[in-house]
Amino acid sequence: MHNKRINSLSLLTHAALALALSIASGSFVAAMEKPYPGPFFENDELLMVVIPRTAEQMAAFYEARGFPQRAIDTVTATCFVTIHIDNKSRHITWLETANWQLTSQGKTLDILGSEYWDASWEQIDLPQAFRSTFFWTQLPPVVDLHADEPVGGNIVLPGNIEHFDIEANFRTGADKQGEPLQVRFTDIECGTTQAQP
Amino acid sequence: MTQRLAGLLIILLLQTPLATAADDIPLGVMRINGLDAPGLKLDSIDGDPYDLSTTGGHWRFVHFWASWCGPCRREMPSIQRMMPLLEDTDLEFVIVNTAETEDAVFEFLGIVAPELVPLMDTDGTVTQVWMPRGLPSTFLVDPEGKVQYLALGDREWDKPAYVAFLRRLAGTDHK
Repeated sequence: MHNKRINSLSLLTHAALALALSIASGSFVAAMEKPYPGPFFENDELLMVVIPRTAEQMAAFYEARGFPQRAIDTVTATCFVTIHIDNKSRHITWLETANWQLTSQGKTLDILGSEYWDASWEQIDLPQAFRSTFFWTQLPPVVDLHADEPVGGNIVLPGNIEHFDIEANFRTGADKQGEPLQVRFTDIECGTTQAQP
Repeated sequence: MTQRLAGLLIILLLQTPLATAADDIPLGVMRINGLDAPGLKLDSIDGDPYDLSTTGGHWRFVHFWASWCGPCRREMPSIQRMMPLLEDTDLEFVIVNTAETEDAVFEFLGIVAPELVPLMDTDGTVTQVWMPRGLPSTFLVDPEGKVQYLALGDREWDKPAYVAFLRRLAGTDHK
Protein backbone atom coordinates (compact mmCIF):
# COMPACT_ATOMS: atom_id res chain seq x y z
CA MET A 1 0.00 0.00 0.00
CA HIS A 2 1.25 3.46 -0.76
CA ASN A 3 -0.03 6.92 -0.38
CA LYS A 4 -1.16 8.80 -3.42
CA ARG A 5 0.36 12.24 -2.91
CA ILE A 6 -1.20 15.14 -4.64
CA ASN A 7 0.65 18.31 -5.41
CA SER A 8 0.32 21.15 -2.99
CA LEU A 9 -1.90 24.00 -3.92
CA SER A 10 -0.98 27.52 -3.03
CA LEU A 11 -3.80 29.47 -1.59
CA LEU A 12 -2.03 32.74 -2.25
CA THR A 13 -3.25 32.55 -5.82
CA HIS A 14 -6.79 32.63 -4.57
CA ALA A 15 -6.87 35.97 -2.84
CA ALA A 16 -10.26 37.01 -4.03
CA LEU A 17 -12.86 35.00 -2.26
CA ALA A 18 -16.01 36.93 -2.96
CA LEU A 19 -18.65 34.71 -1.49
CA ALA A 20 -22.32 35.12 -1.08
CA LEU A 21 -23.27 35.01 2.56
CA SER A 22 -25.84 32.40 1.72
CA ILE A 23 -23.05 29.88 1.39
CA ALA A 24 -20.91 31.35 4.13
CA SER A 25 -21.50 28.36 6.25
CA GLY A 26 -23.70 25.41 6.53
CA SER A 27 -24.00 21.74 6.10
CA PHE A 28 -23.02 21.55 2.47
CA VAL A 29 -24.68 18.28 1.69
CA ALA A 30 -24.88 18.92 -2.01
CA ALA A 31 -22.58 18.56 -4.95
CA MET A 32 -20.60 21.74 -5.58
CA GLU A 33 -20.43 23.19 -9.06
CA LYS A 34 -17.73 25.24 -10.76
CA PRO A 35 -16.50 27.85 -10.30
CA TYR A 36 -15.52 26.67 -6.87
CA PRO A 37 -15.48 29.41 -4.24
CA GLY A 38 -11.97 28.66 -3.03
CA PRO A 39 -8.79 26.66 -3.59
CA PHE A 40 -9.54 23.12 -4.56
CA PHE A 41 -8.21 19.73 -5.52
CA GLU A 42 -10.17 17.61 -7.96
CA ASN A 43 -9.58 14.32 -9.70
CA ASP A 44 -11.77 11.37 -10.70
CA GLU A 45 -12.10 10.23 -7.09
CA LEU A 46 -12.39 13.32 -4.96
CA LEU A 47 -13.21 17.00 -4.93
CA MET A 48 -12.01 19.00 -1.94
CA VAL A 49 -12.58 22.74 -1.69
CA VAL A 50 -11.15 24.95 1.07
CA ILE A 51 -12.84 28.27 1.77
CA PRO A 52 -11.24 30.51 4.41
CA ARG A 53 -13.72 32.79 6.17
CA THR A 54 -13.30 36.21 7.65
CA ALA A 55 -14.54 37.10 11.09
CA GLU A 56 -17.02 39.45 9.48
CA GLN A 57 -18.48 36.66 7.36
CA MET A 58 -18.94 34.38 10.33
CA ALA A 59 -20.36 37.13 12.50
CA ALA A 60 -22.83 38.09 9.78
CA PHE A 61 -23.93 34.50 9.28
CA TYR A 62 -24.62 33.77 12.93
CA GLU A 63 -26.05 37.22 13.64
CA ALA A 64 -28.55 36.62 10.86
CA ARG A 65 -29.56 33.41 12.66
CA GLY A 66 -30.21 35.43 15.82
CA PHE A 67 -27.16 34.34 17.80
CA PRO A 68 -26.53 36.58 20.81
CA GLN A 69 -23.51 38.87 20.83
CA ARG A 70 -21.67 36.80 23.42
CA ALA A 71 -21.78 33.85 21.02
CA ILE A 72 -20.67 36.02 18.11
CA ASP A 73 -17.70 37.17 20.19
CA THR A 74 -16.76 33.55 20.81
CA VAL A 75 -17.03 32.72 17.12
CA THR A 76 -15.01 35.68 15.87
CA ALA A 77 -12.17 34.92 18.26
CA THR A 78 -11.43 31.81 16.21
CA CYS A 79 -10.47 30.90 12.66
CA PHE A 80 -13.16 29.38 10.44
CA VAL A 81 -12.51 27.44 7.26
CA THR A 82 -15.32 25.86 5.28
CA ILE A 83 -14.50 22.50 3.77
CA HIS A 84 -16.44 20.84 0.98
CA ILE A 85 -15.73 17.29 -0.14
CA ASP A 86 -17.38 15.22 -2.85
CA ASN A 87 -16.65 11.51 -3.02
CA LYS A 88 -16.55 11.14 -6.79
CA SER A 89 -15.39 7.54 -6.66
CA ARG A 90 -17.51 4.41 -6.71
CA HIS A 91 -16.20 3.24 -3.35
CA ILE A 92 -16.41 4.46 0.21
CA THR A 93 -14.02 7.25 1.11
CA TRP A 94 -13.54 8.02 4.78
CA LEU A 95 -13.66 11.55 6.09
CA GLU A 96 -11.78 11.30 9.38
CA THR A 97 -10.49 14.66 10.50
CA ALA A 98 -8.49 12.97 13.25
CA ASN A 99 -6.26 11.70 10.44
CA TRP A 100 -5.66 15.18 9.07
CA GLN A 101 -2.51 17.12 9.86
CA LEU A 102 -2.97 20.84 10.36
CA THR A 103 0.23 22.76 10.98
CA SER A 104 1.40 26.32 11.37
CA GLN A 105 5.07 27.22 11.49
CA GLY A 106 5.94 23.63 12.18
CA LYS A 107 3.50 23.25 15.03
CA THR A 108 0.51 20.94 14.99
CA LEU A 109 -2.90 22.57 15.29
CA ASP A 110 -5.94 20.95 16.81
CA ILE A 111 -9.38 21.49 15.36
CA LEU A 112 -11.69 23.01 17.95
CA GLY A 113 -14.20 20.21 18.22
CA SER A 114 -17.46 19.59 19.95
CA GLU A 115 -15.91 19.41 23.44
CA TYR A 116 -14.49 22.89 23.01
CA TRP A 117 -17.77 24.27 21.72
CA ASP A 118 -19.90 22.52 24.31
CA ALA A 119 -17.75 24.08 27.04
CA SER A 120 -17.85 27.48 25.36
CA TRP A 121 -21.61 27.41 25.04
CA GLU A 122 -22.02 26.24 28.62
CA GLN A 123 -19.89 29.16 29.76
CA ILE A 124 -22.19 31.69 28.12
CA ASP A 125 -25.37 29.66 28.67
CA LEU A 126 -26.23 29.61 24.98
CA PRO A 127 -29.78 28.38 24.32
CA GLN A 128 -30.07 24.88 22.87
CA ALA A 129 -31.49 26.01 19.52
CA PHE A 130 -28.35 28.01 18.75
CA ARG A 131 -26.15 25.15 19.86
CA SER A 132 -28.01 22.88 17.47
CA THR A 133 -27.68 25.26 14.55
CA PHE A 134 -23.99 25.71 15.28
CA PHE A 135 -23.51 21.94 15.46
CA TRP A 136 -24.98 21.44 12.00
CA THR A 137 -22.69 24.07 10.50
CA GLN A 138 -19.60 22.09 11.51
CA LEU A 139 -17.81 19.51 9.39
CA PRO A 140 -18.57 16.12 10.93
CA PRO A 141 -15.40 14.46 12.24
CA VAL A 142 -16.20 11.03 10.78
CA VAL A 143 -18.26 10.12 7.73
CA ASP A 144 -18.13 7.07 5.49
CA LEU A 145 -18.73 8.90 2.24
CA HIS A 146 -20.58 6.72 -0.24
CA ALA A 147 -20.32 7.00 -4.00
CA ASP A 148 -21.30 10.48 -5.13
CA GLU A 149 -21.89 11.63 -1.57
CA PRO A 150 -20.89 15.18 -0.67
CA VAL A 151 -20.18 16.54 2.78
CA GLY A 152 -19.35 19.98 4.03
CA GLY A 153 -19.08 22.27 6.97
CA ASN A 154 -16.67 24.35 8.95
CA ILE A 155 -13.53 23.40 10.77
CA VAL A 156 -12.43 25.87 13.41
CA LEU A 157 -8.91 26.61 14.62
CA PRO A 158 -7.59 28.83 17.39
CA GLY A 159 -7.69 32.47 16.38
CA ASN A 160 -4.07 33.24 17.19
CA ILE A 161 -2.62 31.84 13.97
CA GLU A 162 -2.10 33.53 10.64
CA HIS A 163 -1.23 30.90 8.08
CA PHE A 164 -1.47 27.16 8.15
CA ASP A 165 -1.30 24.02 6.03
CA ILE A 166 -3.74 21.14 5.74
CA GLU A 167 -2.74 17.59 4.91
CA ALA A 168 -5.99 15.68 4.50
CA ASN A 169 -5.63 11.91 4.60
CA PHE A 170 -8.47 9.71 3.42
CA ARG A 171 -8.74 5.97 3.81
CA THR A 172 -10.86 4.21 1.23
CA GLY A 173 -13.00 1.11 0.98
CA ALA A 174 -15.59 -0.16 3.40
CA ASP A 175 -12.82 -1.91 5.33
CA LYS A 176 -10.50 1.11 5.02
CA GLN A 177 -7.96 -1.09 3.26
CA GLY A 178 -8.14 0.58 -0.15
CA GLU A 179 -5.52 2.89 -1.56
CA PRO A 180 -5.22 5.93 0.72
CA LEU A 181 -5.53 9.40 -0.67
CA GLN A 182 -3.69 12.47 0.51
CA VAL A 183 -4.48 16.06 -0.41
CA ARG A 184 -2.38 19.04 0.72
CA PHE A 185 -3.24 22.70 0.85
CA THR A 186 -0.51 25.11 1.89
CA ASP A 187 -0.32 28.63 3.24
CA ILE A 188 -3.98 29.08 4.05
CA GLU A 189 -4.55 32.49 5.54
CA CYS A 190 -6.75 32.50 8.59
CA GLY A 191 -9.67 34.79 7.98
CA THR A 192 -9.53 36.36 11.40
CA THR A 193 -6.26 38.04 10.55
CA GLN A 194 -7.95 39.86 7.67
CA ALA A 195 -10.57 41.15 9.98
CA GLN A 196 -8.23 42.68 12.51
CA PRO A 197 -7.06 46.28 12.17
CA MET B 1 -19.71 14.21 19.08
CA THR B 2 -20.50 11.01 20.88
CA GLN B 3 -24.03 11.14 19.56
CA ARG B 4 -22.83 11.77 16.01
CA LEU B 5 -20.38 8.88 16.18
CA ALA B 6 -22.99 6.62 17.68
CA GLY B 7 -25.41 7.50 14.93
CA LEU B 8 -22.79 6.85 12.29
CA LEU B 9 -21.93 3.52 13.85
CA ILE B 10 -25.56 2.49 13.84
CA ILE B 11 -25.89 3.40 10.18
CA LEU B 12 -22.72 1.49 9.33
CA LEU B 13 -23.90 -1.56 11.17
CA LEU B 14 -27.23 -1.49 9.42
CA GLN B 15 -26.07 -0.93 5.90
CA THR B 16 -26.65 -3.62 3.34
CA PRO B 17 -24.87 -3.80 0.02
CA LEU B 18 -26.10 -1.22 -2.45
CA ALA B 19 -26.24 -3.97 -5.05
CA THR B 20 -29.39 -5.28 -3.43
CA ALA B 21 -32.17 -4.28 -5.74
CA ALA B 22 -29.86 -1.50 -6.92
CA ASP B 23 -31.83 -1.07 -10.11
CA ASP B 24 -34.80 -0.03 -8.07
CA ILE B 25 -33.05 2.52 -5.89
CA PRO B 26 -32.31 5.92 -7.43
CA LEU B 27 -28.98 7.67 -7.10
CA GLY B 28 -28.21 8.97 -3.65
CA VAL B 29 -30.73 6.82 -1.81
CA MET B 30 -29.23 4.19 0.48
CA ARG B 31 -31.01 1.15 1.81
CA ILE B 32 -30.56 0.49 5.48
CA ASN B 33 -31.98 -2.41 7.42
CA GLY B 34 -34.50 -0.62 9.46
CA LEU B 35 -34.61 -0.35 13.15
CA ASP B 36 -37.54 1.35 14.76
CA ALA B 37 -37.73 4.99 13.84
CA PRO B 38 -36.67 7.31 16.66
CA GLY B 39 -39.35 9.31 18.38
CA LEU B 40 -40.77 12.26 16.51
CA LYS B 41 -43.35 14.16 18.46
CA LEU B 42 -43.58 17.82 17.55
CA ASP B 43 -46.03 20.61 16.85
CA SER B 44 -46.46 21.97 13.37
CA ILE B 45 -45.91 25.63 12.59
CA ASP B 46 -49.70 25.91 12.77
CA GLY B 47 -49.67 24.52 16.28
CA ASP B 48 -51.07 21.08 15.47
CA PRO B 49 -49.49 18.21 17.39
CA TYR B 50 -47.92 15.31 15.50
CA ASP B 51 -46.57 11.98 16.70
CA LEU B 52 -44.92 9.67 14.17
CA SER B 53 -45.56 6.64 16.35
CA THR B 54 -49.30 7.06 15.96
CA THR B 55 -49.33 7.32 12.17
CA GLY B 56 -48.37 3.81 11.05
CA GLY B 57 -49.80 1.80 8.19
CA HIS B 58 -48.20 3.72 5.38
CA TRP B 59 -44.78 4.98 4.26
CA ARG B 60 -43.48 8.25 5.68
CA PHE B 61 -41.05 10.69 4.00
CA VAL B 62 -39.27 12.25 6.98
CA HIS B 63 -37.23 15.27 5.95
CA PHE B 64 -34.95 17.47 8.08
CA TRP B 65 -33.95 20.92 6.88
CA ALA B 66 -33.06 24.47 7.85
CA SER B 67 -33.45 27.63 5.83
CA TRP B 68 -29.83 28.73 6.34
CA CYS B 69 -28.58 25.61 4.59
CA GLY B 70 -27.98 26.19 0.88
CA PRO B 71 -28.72 22.64 -0.28
CA CYS B 72 -31.94 22.70 1.76
CA ARG B 73 -33.04 25.83 -0.07
CA ARG B 74 -32.31 24.23 -3.40
CA GLU B 75 -34.09 21.01 -2.52
CA MET B 76 -37.27 22.30 -0.92
CA PRO B 77 -38.94 23.47 -4.15
CA SER B 78 -38.48 19.99 -5.62
CA ILE B 79 -40.30 18.53 -2.62
CA GLN B 80 -43.11 20.99 -3.16
CA ARG B 81 -43.30 19.98 -6.85
CA MET B 82 -43.17 16.27 -6.00
CA MET B 83 -46.07 16.29 -3.58
CA PRO B 84 -48.88 16.68 -6.14
CA LEU B 85 -47.26 13.95 -8.25
CA LEU B 86 -47.82 11.55 -5.37
CA GLU B 87 -51.09 12.81 -3.99
CA ASP B 88 -52.90 9.67 -5.19
CA THR B 89 -50.69 7.61 -2.86
CA ASP B 90 -50.81 7.42 0.90
CA LEU B 91 -47.18 8.48 1.29
CA GLU B 92 -47.03 10.94 4.16
CA PHE B 93 -44.69 13.92 4.14
CA VAL B 94 -43.17 14.78 7.50
CA ILE B 95 -41.14 17.94 7.06
CA VAL B 96 -39.10 18.90 10.12
CA ASN B 97 -37.41 22.25 10.52
CA THR B 98 -34.30 22.13 12.67
CA ALA B 99 -33.92 24.76 15.37
CA GLU B 100 -35.28 27.84 13.67
CA THR B 101 -37.91 30.36 14.64
CA GLU B 102 -41.40 30.48 13.19
CA ASP B 103 -40.55 33.79 11.57
CA ALA B 104 -37.53 32.37 9.76
CA VAL B 105 -39.48 29.34 8.56
CA PHE B 106 -42.52 31.33 7.51
CA GLU B 107 -40.40 33.81 5.60
CA PHE B 108 -38.61 31.06 3.71
CA LEU B 109 -41.45 28.63 3.01
CA GLY B 110 -43.83 31.41 2.13
CA ILE B 111 -41.71 32.05 -0.92
CA VAL B 112 -40.42 28.67 -2.04
CA ALA B 113 -42.94 26.11 -0.77
CA PRO B 114 -46.05 27.79 0.62
CA GLU B 115 -48.08 24.59 0.80
CA LEU B 116 -45.71 22.82 3.15
CA VAL B 117 -46.62 22.80 6.83
CA PRO B 118 -43.44 21.88 8.69
CA LEU B 119 -43.04 20.48 12.15
CA MET B 120 -40.99 22.73 14.40
CA ASP B 121 -38.04 21.12 16.17
CA THR B 122 -37.47 24.39 17.93
CA ASP B 123 -34.41 23.42 19.93
CA GLY B 124 -33.04 20.82 17.49
CA THR B 125 -33.15 17.96 19.96
CA VAL B 126 -35.39 15.71 17.85
CA THR B 127 -33.07 16.16 14.88
CA GLN B 128 -30.13 15.23 17.11
CA VAL B 129 -31.84 11.98 18.03
CA TRP B 130 -32.42 11.05 14.39
CA MET B 131 -28.78 11.93 13.63
CA PRO B 132 -28.93 12.70 9.93
CA ARG B 133 -25.56 12.69 8.15
CA GLY B 134 -26.08 16.40 7.53
CA LEU B 135 -28.78 18.81 6.48
CA PRO B 136 -30.83 18.27 4.46
CA SER B 137 -31.55 14.61 5.09
CA THR B 138 -34.49 12.40 4.27
CA PHE B 139 -35.45 9.11 5.89
CA LEU B 140 -38.08 6.77 4.48
CA VAL B 141 -40.02 5.01 7.20
CA ASP B 142 -42.06 1.93 6.33
CA PRO B 143 -45.63 1.21 7.45
CA GLU B 144 -44.32 -0.72 10.46
CA GLY B 145 -42.32 2.26 11.65
CA LYS B 146 -38.90 1.00 10.55
CA VAL B 147 -36.39 3.31 8.87
CA GLN B 148 -35.64 1.56 5.57
CA TYR B 149 -33.94 4.15 3.36
CA LEU B 150 -31.78 7.22 3.77
CA ALA B 151 -31.30 9.85 1.08
CA LEU B 152 -27.79 11.30 0.96
CA GLY B 153 -27.90 15.06 0.77
CA ASP B 154 -30.29 17.00 -1.41
CA ARG B 155 -32.18 15.27 -4.20
CA GLU B 156 -34.31 16.44 -7.09
CA TRP B 157 -37.34 14.67 -5.73
CA ASP B 158 -39.67 15.56 -8.59
CA LYS B 159 -37.48 13.74 -11.13
CA PRO B 160 -39.10 10.59 -12.55
CA ALA B 161 -36.65 8.18 -10.91
CA TYR B 162 -37.48 9.41 -7.42
CA VAL B 163 -41.21 9.70 -8.03
CA ALA B 164 -41.30 6.16 -9.45
CA PHE B 165 -39.28 4.85 -6.52
CA LEU B 166 -41.61 6.43 -3.98
CA ARG B 167 -44.61 5.10 -5.90
CA ARG B 168 -43.17 1.61 -5.68
CA LEU B 169 -42.75 2.00 -1.95
CA ALA B 170 -46.28 3.25 -1.58
CA GLY B 171 -47.55 0.34 -3.66
CA THR B 172 -48.98 2.45 -6.43
CA ASP B 173 -46.47 1.94 -9.22
CA HIS B 174 -49.18 1.21 -11.74
CA LYS B 175 -48.23 4.03 -14.08
